[in-house]
This record gives sequence, structure tokens and C-alpha cells, in this order.
Amino acid sequence: MTYTIIGRCSRTGRLGLGITTFSLAVGGRCEGVAANIGICKTQAFPNRTNDPLAIKLLAQGLLPARVMQALAANDTEHDYRQIAIMDREGRIAAHTGTGTRGWSGHQIAADCVAFGNGLVGPRVLEALIAGFQAQPGDPLELRLMQALEAGRDAGGQGTVDSHKPERSAAIKVVDRLDYPDIDVRVDVHPTAVAELRRVLEEFKLYEAFYRDRGREPSKAIPQDVFVAGLKARRG
Amino acid sequence: MTFTVVARNPQTGQIGIGIATYSIGVGLYCNGLRSNVGATMTQAFVNQGNNALALRLLAQGFTPARVVEELQANDPDFAYRQIAVIDREGQAAAYSGPKTRGYSGHLVGDGYIAMGNVLAGQHVVDAIAAGYEAEPNETFERRLLRAIEAGRDAGGQVGNDGHLTERSAAVLVYSAYDHADLDLRVDLHDHAVDELRRAFEEYEPYRAYYRDRGDNPRDAVPQDVFVSRLAQAEGAR
Repeated sequence: MTYTIIGRCSRTGRLGLGITTFSLAVGGRCEGVAANIGICKTQAFPNRTNDPLAIKLLAQGLLPARVMQALAANDTEHDYRQIAIMDREGRIAAHTGTGTRGWSGHQIAADCVAFGNGLVGPRVLEALIAGFQAQPGDPLELRLMQALEAGRDAGGQGTVDSHKPERSAAIKVVDRLDYPDIDVRVDVHPTAVAELRRVLEEFKLYEAFYRDRGREPSKAIPQDVFVAGLKARRG
Repeated sequence: MTFTVVARNPQTGQIGIGIATYSIGVGLYCNGLRSNVGATMTQAFVNQGNNALALRLLAQGFTPARVVEELQANDPDFAYRQIAVIDREGQAAAYSGPKTRGYSGHLVGDGYIAMGNVLAGQHVVDAIAAGYEAEPNETFERRLLRAIEAGRDAGGQVGNDGHLTERSAAVLVYSAYDHADLDLRVDLHDHAVDELRRAFEEYEPYRAYYRDRGDNPRDAVPQDVFVSRLAQAEGAR
């Protein structure tokens, strides 16, 4: 039981993933996000070696659809996996195995793919996509966040009678460098999507400060001075 | 302002990092671990290109000491960095630049590095090392956690206005795969080291379950069944 959005910003070419689930620490199992290459996320009953393999295959020049065939050929339990792959041009392949549990499916739209299992129904995927597409001018991380919130508000995981809480969540965005632009996580929390929003909003206040102090350390002010300035601006 | 242990477990060959800092989301910067290669961390004024470069240099066969020299030659602001590099054999090198702030220093031990900046003093670095060495037969993850808890208990970070709380923390362990054995984080919290311990203890019973259900999905029980069994087992204790 998990719902996920993979998206691309058509203006900048940045790629990102937003994910939330009942399982703990899901962000620690999202290694398939690679700048200049693409994204692969395997969930449901995940094969942990899938995502690094898919990234290596994408980097060799294979299309997402061909990478998916390679994953299928390499895994006796492919039917239990749910997988989405997007390359840096926004091409997408998705697979929802028949062995995944609960309501399970994927939906592809322009510059994004929504997929999930153990969901209350297809409206969660529709909400993820609508959330992603609602503010196309926003930074990608905020669009992914809005998608997750829309998925949650549409019922998220579980059944109509019994909602499964989101206990972990994560957003990762890569651009062209070896390290992510954005990588925020909530690993163990009773309302992880709301907490992820709080972490993301706070991180956005520090994003430029952290970047600049590394790039131009001789001009950096101490962080406690920066934080005092933030507090003063908040009143 | 950060304190860190970077280590290799000689019993298993695992490499890992435990880290805590006043900055938020420190886990974002911990991209310097690769199975069968080594572990590295650049902190203080972070050069975010360093970790990826250092791993590639280690993978090419450079020693940790030589990697640090190469990072120096590649960075006009090297004096602002604090760096640890350890390879898959446990060889280690570290650097605390003269422009890093506050008390800043490192200690290279047997198969590990303790380091930090904007600290209460050298005793924090010593405490991290002592914490890591305290229980050599515990699991590697617990040794890393114990190290940063000892750093916290020794006074941790001190800024212009006194003690600075840990607002983010992380523990990562790699062994044989492209993915981490453990990658657990607290990105924004008033007591991030305490919260990391809570998250770890909560997560620990699930780790084998998550691994097994992926490896052998046909036999996997649903997670809500697993969770209720956990609760029963805890109630019986």
C-alpha cells in the first residue's frame, strides 16, 4: 500500500518523485532517482535491485519500455511488483503486477505517472495527477507535494471503511548535478504527508542559504544569524 | 555545526555514517556511501560535489589520503571544508579546514573517523569515538547511533548564543548492494538525535519483514497482519 507520483518539469527538465505509504522510512528505499538519466520506482512487493538496475539500463540508452521488459525478464516475481519508469525526456513505462494487493493501478498523463496499490480506488490516481497538474508554474517539488496531498485527500490507502494512515513520505528532485536539489523525508510519523509539507516548507526557507554557503563560504553568515533573521521576518 | 561518525565494520565489511546537526535535512547531503567502495562525508561549508567525486576516486583505486589531496587540489575553498574518507579496507583520512567555525576537529580511529565543527570542544569528538567503541559486538547500526548520542550527551554543538540543538540526523549503512541496508532520517525536529533513536527502534522490527516480502512475495503476510502480530508480541513482553 503506497501511492506515488513521478513527474517532470517541462520548463526545466527537472525530474522528481513524491511517495507516501503505510510502511516506515519509504524514502530510504528510493535510490532510483538519477540526475540526467531518469527515475525508476519499484513498490508493492519491491525487488530492491530493480531500481539501480533500471537506472543503469536507462543510462545505456534503453527506452523505459525496453527497461521494463528487461526487469520482467530478470525477475521471477515480476507479477508482484509495481513499477514506473520515466526517462529524462519524460517517456514513461509502468507495470502493475497481478499479484499486488488491494486496489492497484497506474495512470500515465503528460509529464507524469501516478501509481499505487492498497488504495481506496482509481480516484486516488486521478487526484495525484490533478494535484500535479494544478499549478504547472510551481517548482517541481511543490507540484509533487500538491499531488501527494490530493491523493491523501481522495482517500489514499485502505478501503472505504478503513483508512490506512500514511506513516512515511518523501520527495526527491534532481536536476543536472550528482546530488539532489530537493530530498526531504518523513520516516516515522502518524500523518506523514502533513509532516512532509511542514518539512518541505521549512527547507525551502533554507535552500538558497545552504547552497550558497557551500559555494561561497567566505561570504556566508553563521546559521544562527540566518535563523535569527528568519525569525525576525516571521515576526 | 555538525557531528559525525564515518566507519567501517571490520566484522561484516559494512560501511556507515551517523550524523547530527543544527541544519535541517542533513540526510540530503549524505550521498557518500557505496557498497564495496567506501564512505565519505564533506561537511561544515559543504562542497556538494565532493562526495560523488571522492567515491569515484576511491573506486578508481585511490587511497583515502590521496582522495583528500585530490579534493584539495580541486577546490579553491578547501579551507572551509571538513572531510572524512574511509575505504572498504577501513583505511581512513580526514581534514578539518582552518576556516571551519567554532571548535572544529576530527579523530581518526581504528576503522572510523569522528569529526565535528561548531562543537562544545574536543571532548565531543572524543565522546563520539568512545561511543562508537563502547560496544564493539553490538550491531553496526547501534554503534553508529551510540556514537552520535554520546556526542550529544557531551554537549554537542555550541553557537554564539550557547548550545545549538540537533534539528536533523541520519544513520546510513551499506553492505553489498546498490541500495542501502539502512537509510533512516529525521529532517526537522527539535531533538533530532532522540527522534532518530525512536524512529530506529520503531523501524528495526520491520526491516527483515520488508526485505523478505520483496524477496519472497508469495509467502508475505499483509502488513496490517504483521503490525498486529508485532503489537501482540510487545503486549506479551
